[in-house]
Amino acid sequence: MDLADLTRDLEALASDTLAAAAAAPDAATLDALELDVLGKKGRLTGVLRGIGALSADERPRVGAVANEVRARIQTALAGRGTDLRGTELAARLSAETVDVTTPGRPIRRGSLHPINETIAEIADIFGQFGFVVYEGPEIEDDLRNFQMLNIPPDHPARDLWDTLYVDVDGHLLRTHTSPGQIRVMHDEKPPIRALLPGRCFRYEAIDASHASEFFQVEGLMVDEGTTMGDLKGLLDQFAKAMYGADKRTRFRPGYYPFTEPSVAFDVECVVCGGSGCPACSRTGWMTILGAGMVHPVVLQYGGLDPERYQGFAFGMGVERIANLRHSVGDLRLYMDNDLRFLEQFR
Amino acid sequence: MRVPLSWLRDYVDIQLTPEQLAERLTLLGMEVKGLERWGSDWQHVVVGELLTVARHPRADRLSLTTVSLGSGESLEIVCGATNIRPGQRVPVALPGAVLPGDRRIERTEKMGIVSNGMLCSGEELRLTADADGILILPAETPLGAPLVDLYGDIVLDVDVKPNRGDALSMVGLAREVAALTGAPVRFPETDPAETGPAIGDRLHVEISQPDLCTRFVGRWVGGVTVGPSPDHVQMRLIASGQRPVSNVVDASNYVMLELGKPIHTFDARAVRDGRLIVRLARDSEPLETLETLDHVQRDLTADTLLIADPAGPLAIAGVMGGATSEITSATTDVVVESAIFDPVSIRRTAFRYALRSEASLRFEKGQEHRLARLGADRTARLIAEWAGGDVAVGVIDTDPTDPPPAAVAFRPARVNRLLGTSLTGREQQGLLDRVGIQAQPASPGTRIQVAGHPRPLDVDPGAEAVLLASVPSWRRDLLVEADVVEEVARVRGYELVPAILPHTPMPAHRRDPLRLRDAVRATLAGAGLTEAVTFALASPAMVERFGPLSAVTVAGEGSPGGRPVVVTNPLSTQHSVMRQSLIGSLFEVLATNTRQGRGDVAIFEIGKGYGRSDDGESTHEWWRLGFVLTGAAQAAHWDRAARAYDLDDGKGLLELLASRLGLPSVVYQPLRDDPNLHPGRAALATAGDGLVAAVGEIHPSVMAALESRAERVIVAEVAIVGLSGGQPSVPQGTTPSRYPEVERDIAVVVPTERAALDIVTAVRHHAGPLLQAVHLFDIYRGRPLADDERSLAYRLTFAAPDRTLTEVEIDAAIAAVTTGLVTDVGGRIRT
Repeated sequence: MDLADLTRDLEALASDTLAAAAAAPDAATLDALELDVLGKKGRLTGVLRGIGALSADERPRVGAVANEVRARIQTALAGRGTDLRGTELAARLSAETVDVTTPGRPIRRGSLHPINETIAEIADIFGQFGFVVYEGPEIEDDLRNFQMLNIPPDHPARDLWDTLYVDVDGHLLRTHTSPGQIRVMHDEKPPIRALLPGRCFRYEAIDASHASEFFQVEGLMVDEGTTMGDLKGLLDQFAKAMYGADKRTRFRPGYYPFTEPSVAFDVECVVCGGSGCPACSRTGWMTILGAGMVHPVVLQYGGLDPERYQGFAFGMGVERIANLRHSVGDLRLYMDNDLRFLEQFR
Repeated sequence: MRVPLSWLRDYVDIQLTPEQLAERLTLLGMEVKGLERWGSDWQHVVVGELLTVARHPRADRLSLTTVSLGSGESLEIVCGATNIRPGQRVPVALPGAVLPGDRRIERTEKMGIVSNGMLCSGEELRLTADADGILILPAETPLGAPLVDLYGDIVLDVDVKPNRGDALSMVGLAREVAALTGAPVRFPETDPAETGPAIGDRLHVEISQPDLCTRFVGRWVGGVTVGPSPDHVQMRLIASGQRPVSNVVDASNYVMLELGKPIHTFDARAVRDGRLIVRLARDSEPLETLETLDHVQRDLTADTLLIADPAGPLAIAGVMGGATSEITSATTDVVVESAIFDPVSIRRTAFRYALRSEASLRFEKGQEHRLARLGADRTARLIAEWAGGDVAVGVIDTDPTDPPPAAVAFRPARVNRLLGTSLTGREQQGLLDRVGIQAQPASPGTRIQVAGHPRPLDVDPGAEAVLLASVPSWRRDLLVEADVVEEVARVRGYELVPAILPHTPMPAHRRDPLRLRDAVRATLAGAGLTEAVTFALASPAMVERFGPLSAVTVAGEGSPGGRPVVVTNPLSTQHSVMRQSLIGSLFEVLATNTRQGRGDVAIFEIGKGYGRSDDGESTHEWWRLGFVLTGAAQAAHWDRAARAYDLDDGKGLLELLASRLGLPSVVYQPLRDDPNLHPGRAALATAGDGLVAAVGEIHPSVMAALESRAERVIVAEVAIVGLSGGQPSVPQGTTPSRYPEVERDIAVVVPTERAALDIVTAVRHHAGPLLQAVHLFDIYRGRPLADDERSLAYRLTFAAPDRTLTEVEIDAAIAAVTTGLVTDVGGRIRT
């Protein structure tokens, strides 16, 4: 074997390989060809095995040729490979094409009840002003539900709360969250900023606007120098957060035995915006809660000196707040638990 | 209270429009809940004059009339009434008219003659109570005028608060209007012309219970003719919601609405010896009885205050009169009772006999002392005016002395401290003056009444200026300083109170008890469940069936259970017992929805159970999470069939919650003895000491008993420590190992009844510290296993925090597990 033979063999390998590469039907064949020609025990190595017979000055020349041939083959294989893989990818993508316009696989979604979500929203708004959540029992005693709230037995104001009584001496189902005021004042020292959400009960036939079970949120703030101005400012913030920053609000006189003075808190009608409509009895205003300055009798029952401490309390019906927010017209919907209703609240 | 504006105008001039008046009264604290246009339902009803009245040629009972409307041609109208004469002016409903009750009047033929409309009775117009005759209008009523222009009115519906009994009257509301406008109040004339005999010859009153009847004023009117009241009186009473009865009875009702003073009238002939005795019913056996005006025979319990005569009870004082002394058409002499009774006694009595009335409502709120005399006088005067007769000379009055006016001391500076305002003392005096309160500087040493009954407190005002407010006799609600604050505020208007944000110190931080519940709610909603809120009051049957899950208790939340709390005055048995479990309520929600054709229901609720101690002394409440699942856990899709909820979905939810709340992994034990759950498909779940739950499939016989339409229902009730006040645990971040985990699978064949829990326990016990996780990935039954065998396949994950594990280490662990399974659970390893 001399230099010329080797060179010829290398050239032949190159042209064979290039022809085989061009004829390769797929990338796998091409990969096999590459291994067969350029692999460790491949044909190129086989050809170069003859190099040992050459003289010292011929070897580099064959080496140069061999390198040139290897490069030529590699380039050809790479080019052919790119072509083949492109074709194959295109074929795969085409084969894998689906109808993307079909609906997706359904994932079951749940929902949260508007009553609890409204309570959470109220707690969030007042939480920004330092109000913290407390809870009290739903089976209360007459003392805290009425008497300590300045509503003695046989007081005409008891007409405001038709009461459900239970077979436990002196106990009843709380008619409002207000007994929590007494509990918080006893448990905490001023400054007090408390929010008391929870379930309440009334002896009340159920219709679109009356419920025997319902939810309230009570608020209580007591400190030295807490004024009705603080109450007004906070409730104004609450109404704007709940119903829109452009909503006007007002106080008007109200009556609760446990606050003095007492007020009703009105928001500009959420339906007509204040121009007057059936929803607001053409007054332009909707009452959303009652409030007032904690009565000195109540402060004393809470263990506080009314000459030193003063404050306000407010109480709102959660369903009322939710009704106006979600345009719900019938209280019964909340406790009917018709999934078609509930699933609207996400 | 219903207030016809035309009536209110008798006592005060009103320049405001009805809408303005309504708004101003509302802002003064007299909330006007509605403005009714009285007479707006008379359309095309006008005033006509009868020209001729002749007998209908074909019907003896009908009259044929011609009616002039003042212009145009006269109309022929057929009429059935007998009180009509030519020259009278009457209301005429023209064809096309609509009367109250949506009654439509058309041109009709009556016995061969066309009637061009209808002559109206007072009752047909809802103006008076007279249904028999045509309403005869005064002769000067303008012809052709629409009736609504003459008799239409505005009726205000005023919500008078319980503390303002004085405003349950025309005069009381006139005072409020006067406070708004500054116009003077015209109190009605009360003095009757006394032309009869001396009252001492006719009436004697004994009060045997002066604590319950603090004043009794009696009048006597003789020779009355009982009949209908004048039309305008009837119109006012009807517009105010009172049914006209007769001139005598109407006089007392009129005075109640006008002055706020309930009055009772007796037929004097029924009062034996002219002696009235105010006493309690006798504590006798049998009880005294009385037939009340509603013709119910009533047993009178011994604490009932009565008006009696020497022969026996005549009336339940302040609540209802008796039938024997009722005013009838035969009555000629009338005794007028205008008394003041103890409010609590009246309230209790009215409740006991379920006879709450306009009268008892006013008595309950307390009565102005002066009104007893004014009411008696006014009633006697009106009876004489409307029913004729002679008022006896003089009155019986058991306490003619008016008490001195009450006075409340207040600090103008305190008014500002509460309201956040800066009104001067002089400004405050001016505002109070508008509601009849004179405030003058108090004498030195005057103490301030800060609180009254039942926790009175008075204080020394120190150096602060003090005003003494002299309270009008009718205002029984102004007792302490804070009451004066409210008067200042409401008269001035609350727009004066500034809206500021608190700048006083903030309270200390406190954990929000809603936070954990909100985390649970959000987790379950995210897992596809819908939150429900159901009634805490349930039926006795439901509470009995779904009792407290006594196995589900965790430390620190109080013990659930005890006897159910029962409502003693329930609205219905359906809502009469406080529930002890959420499952029953949720099952009902499920039933409601399945009845509506809803097959897939996945709902949850966080709510309380309630119980009482056996001695009935104390109650307790405990928080629970409940959920109910039925139907498809996964909805059907075009490439996938639906998959029904089963027990493993319920367990999966518990594990999701435990993981969300940072609790250890959940462990299950069979729960075989819950009567509501399938004994083979129920488990008690625990996660460390932080979560306990019962989860299972509803027992087939319970499903049948409740007539459930669902096929299988999975339920769970969960106690989570501190659901009422706890917080989700705070996750701790550890650095993941940099060394690879190694997984090995192992399958063990065990007898079918061997619980998977035992196998996992054995694996964990024997695998050593390198074991990171055990995952059950297959359960196999069938050949080549025996019929009573099954194979459970687990994937064990091993790792060490500080090195790559060697094959030797892992092989040793697997060998230990293999041996352990054989010895501990009698298993054999499947290869």
